[in-house]
Amino acid sequence: MNIKVPIAILACRAVRLLAHVLRKGGTAKPGEIALKICPNLLSILSRNVKTVVITGTNGKTTTARMVEQAFADAQLSYIANRSGANLISGITTEFALKSSLFGRCRCSHAVIECDEAACRRTLVQLKPQAVLVTNLFRDQVDRFGDVSVTLQNIREGLEKVPESTVCINADCPLCSSLASLPNPRVFFGLENGAANSDTDGGDIKRCPGCGSELEYSYRTLGHLGGWICTGCGKKRADTDISVTDLLAANASGSTVSMRVGGESSSVNINLPALYNVYNAAAATAALVAAGFEAGSAYAALESFSCGFGRMESLPIGTKGARMMLVKNPTGCKQVIDFLSALDEEIELVICLNDRAGDGTDISWIWETDFEKLAGLGEKLSCIRVSGIRWADMALRLKYAGIDEDKIICTPDYAALTTDMASSEKSIYIIPTYSAMLELRSHIVRLTGGTEFWEG
Amino acid sequence: MELKIIHLYPDVMNLYGDIGNIICIKKRLQWRGIDCSVKEIGLGEKADFSEADLIFIGSGREEEQKTLHADLLENKAGALRCAAEAGTSILAIGGGFELLGKYIELSDGSRLELAGVLDMHTVGGKSRHTGNYMFSTAFGKVVAFENHSGSTYLGEDLESLGKIEKGYGNNGEGEEGARWKNVFGSYGHGSLLPKNPALCDEIIRAALSRRYGETELAPLPDEAEKRAHSYMAERLEK
Repeated sequence: MNIKVPIAILACRAVRLLAHVLRKGGTAKPGEIALKICPNLLSILSRNVKTVVITGTNGKTTTARMVEQAFADAQLSYIANRSGANLISGITTEFALKSSLFGRCRCSHAVIECDEAACRRTLVQLKPQAVLVTNLFRDQVDRFGDVSVTLQNIREGLEKVPESTVCINADCPLCSSLASLPNPRVFFGLENGAANSDTDGGDIKRCPGCGSELEYSYRTLGHLGGWICTGCGKKRADTDISVTDLLAANASGSTVSMRVGGESSSVNINLPALYNVYNAAAATAALVAAGFEAGSAYAALESFSCGFGRMESLPIGTKGARMMLVKNPTGCKQVIDFLSALDEEIELVICLNDRAGDGTDISWIWETDFEKLAGLGEKLSCIRVSGIRWADMALRLKYAGIDEDKIICTPDYAALTTDMASSEKSIYIIPTYSAMLELRSHIVRLTGGTEFWEG
Repeated sequence: MELKIIHLYPDVMNLYGDIGNIICIKKRLQWRGIDCSVKEIGLGEKADFSEADLIFIGSGREEEQKTLHADLLENKAGALRCAAEAGTSILAIGGGFELLGKYIELSDGSRLELAGVLDMHTVGGKSRHTGNYMFSTAFGKVVAFENHSGSTYLGEDLESLGKIEKGYGNNGEGEEGARWKNVFGSYGHGSLLPKNPALCDEIIRAALSRRYGETELAPLPDEAEKRAHSYMAERLEK
């Protein structure tokens, strides 16, 4: 046996314990140190574990929660990296904490959210049963340089695991280019009946293969939809898992018609908004690829509760708050579309940070259709603006045509939390990643709840 | 009065939220009771800028520059040079700014001829220059976000838009952007104009003055603008 394995696992546990004692997050550091001691530790720990990896720009966490629910319903012992620890270090921590000192993992299954850029190093160690690519949008451009680099990272990761089934979003022309890999594959998507006429087409307008213009027979979100390239003729693939119709939608969830293979069923999704319909189709694809019956996927979609900052309900103010993490214009636009469709008086909180985890370039706020919020009129009672770049956010809202009297600047989180607590409206909070962590911990302190690393 | 804007290559050069510049110009005109129209000209269209008061070009990477290169030379470059020569205002950001030069040496060593509006050229690089930055101009200090791998070198008689106070700018030697007649080029995203209303108003004023004779713009309150500007200026000065 490799003597490095127990040393690495011990080191991992020790650092983790220390982090807990010091009340620091401590999800990445333990694994980072363990990997320094034993670089292939993750491949040893995961060798008998049936793993589903979830990557892509938007929806990773929510989709992982849906898959996790199916694992839990089936009474499987599983690992889930549920605190946003989605780099190889954090993933290794999760496996090491659930393994014996000799590197035998106590779980039979794992659902792992993996950062797109981390796929290159992580997939080869995990050798997953299935890899789900939810979608690809421009995200945090200053960090990844560009979405084609992100795509290349995922491709290189998949090239090293040709036996893993890849679940591809057929509606996304970028993701679809992964179909040229030799891996077995499952396509999922939304069909014409689930199309959304109120979308502007987003920022990907050209074929990733030949650079020619893309045409769409219908659109769903951003550049997702029934696409065909006017140059090389590549087009949306026929799907194995499809949402064929949106039957009903309200502020607490959607009912859709889902087809798996040849069979259609009516399925309830326990989260509102069209982007969660995508997450539901994606989760179903991953579960089918991992050998589950469609029925168990549907049961999970109906009963799961969502992750950290993803439409998470928080008990603050008379009517409570919902927190919706945003990372890019597409995600933000989806949130705005969702808010526009609500039929109640709401109060909005926007927290814009520009740390590394948020994306240091905040230019994206100018690509986002905040103008639509001005259209809410009396339904929008106020917008509280906070976070490191609150002044930029307030400026954006001014130019979006929001009445300046409705824009309340509260840079201080403690004051913001107190204001929210005395609100009588339904509160919707839109934070960037690090702002979510900070604001959430203020709210948790005020109302009691779970710190994120306890997840 | 009306300001006629042409947005050039909106379908290709759209990478970093530079559309905020058009949002900003439109609003600042609207608040002063001045009309504004925006016409888009994309790939494959023969450009005619004779009606335009302001031409806007957003940003893109080398890939996008390669995509539009042939079209630029065939359909746009001559008209752009004439328009600039005749005093039409141009605002070009990032990769769009680079397009106005004579050529770019790509990272693979090959060379792309470009519009030749400005006497400058760009050399593609491997490392990116990314971050908030600041430069001083005739219209005060400008704060923005740069994100580029190309380095741009101005010809002897071409003036820069400003002097770098914090950041990299054109090529790390202290200059940022370019200004010639009513052509404004910069690496600044953010978007550039909203936080820098003095620069925005200067671009608007120059464009209106050319069509309607010397024009003065009514002052605006600009509290939110100054707040966002001074936050970043102070952060960079620290």
